[in-house]
Amino acid sequence: MSATGLLDVFRRSFFHLESRILQAIGFNNHAVVPALSVQGPGIFPQLHRNEETEEHSLLDNIFWMAAPKKRRTIEVNRCRRRNPQKLIEIKTNIEPCSGCGNLKQKHVLCGFCYEKVRRETAIIRGQIQAQEGKPLNNPAVETVVLYEGEKPADTDAGKRIVERKRQRPSWFTQY
Amino acid sequence: MAASCAVGLGVSLARGLVRYAEASRLLAPCRVLPQSCIHTTTALEGNKNWERKNRVLHQPQPPEETRRAAEVYHCRRQIKYSKDKMWYLAKMIRGMTIEQAIAQLEFNDKKGAAIIKEVLLEAQEMAVKSHNVEYKSNLYVAESFSGKGQYLKRIRIHGRGMFGIMDKVYCHYFVKLVEGVAPKEEPRTGFDQAKEYVQQLRNRTIIHSL
Repeated sequence: MSATGLLDVFRRSFFHLESRILQAIGFNNHAVVPALSVQGPGIFPQLHRNEETEEHSLLDNIFWMAAPKKRRTIEVNRCRRRNPQKLIEIKTNIEPCSGCGNLKQKHVLCGFCYEKVRRETAIIRGQIQAQEGKPLNNPAVETVVLYEGEKPADTDAGKRIVERKRQRPSWFTQY
Repeated sequence: MAASCAVGLGVSLARGLVRYAEASRLLAPCRVLPQSCIHTTTALEGNKNWERKNRVLHQPQPPEETRRAAEVYHCRRQIKYSKDKMWYLAKMIRGMTIEQAIAQLEFNDKKGAAIIKEVLLEAQEMAVKSHNVEYKSNLYVAESFSGKGQYLKRIRIHGRGMFGIMDKVYCHYFVKLVEGVAPKEEPRTGFDQAKEYVQQLRNRTIIHSL
């Protein structure tokens, strides 16, 4: 009983002495365990001599960096890579276009029909450019596109006429 | 005497020729056409087994047997894309009908989607032209997967004079189309998997026991 009591006393006194010494140095308990781990080089105070070699500080920095403890097994990797969140969802909003029959998304214009219209408008724009000659030369009137065999109507009295040497496409309605 | 010998020789030669023809051509039981026994492929060429699967010749079926479904194997090699990224697209189209697969790939934004769509269209054309498939939309994707191609290695320079070896990744894409309707697979639940696992444990035999 007395022996264990003595040992206890010794142990306690030793720890007390140690803590007192540490306190004297300035090494308080709350600073030992970092509440937040940050990159090594950011928090190192410049207390030591500046002619320290670069290799030494690099090794010091490595000591504080996060690193994987164990290799991730292929089973774990597969679970992460193949979980349904990472797989591609199949789209349910694809439907055929009523005009041309190609596939389109419900909320998007049909790509084929759009391309068809784009080509025709590019040709019309080319003709307008040729008519105007130089940039910023457009007249201050409306433009009317007329196809083969079409005459300007009464409502198109003062408008600029662009002629196209082909039959009017079905999607470009006149009136 | 000499003439009869010559005739006999000619006949035996002809028989040998016929036997060779039989062995090599139409009447072979599900055998690939004979190749040389010398190993002629180099390490850089890789295995071309998937392309060879189209050349397999089956024996004619007896009339009462159900008709074997037509199969088309197609692949594309050395695609400049990652095999892991390609896997997601290959996984998406597994089991779909070819029309459904093409529709999904058309509206997918990934780089590999356009490539796989090309491969599927090529395979569909091959099926109709040379594999005796009647309707081009009566096909489904039976197998679809990606494999690693041959990588090029480059140097990636880091700071402090360090360098890493960068891989320029390539992949292969393989697809097998089968004529008909896809077999409906029941989704395996966790309970089924657990049951199978327990059954596997029960099937173990203890050797050298009584």
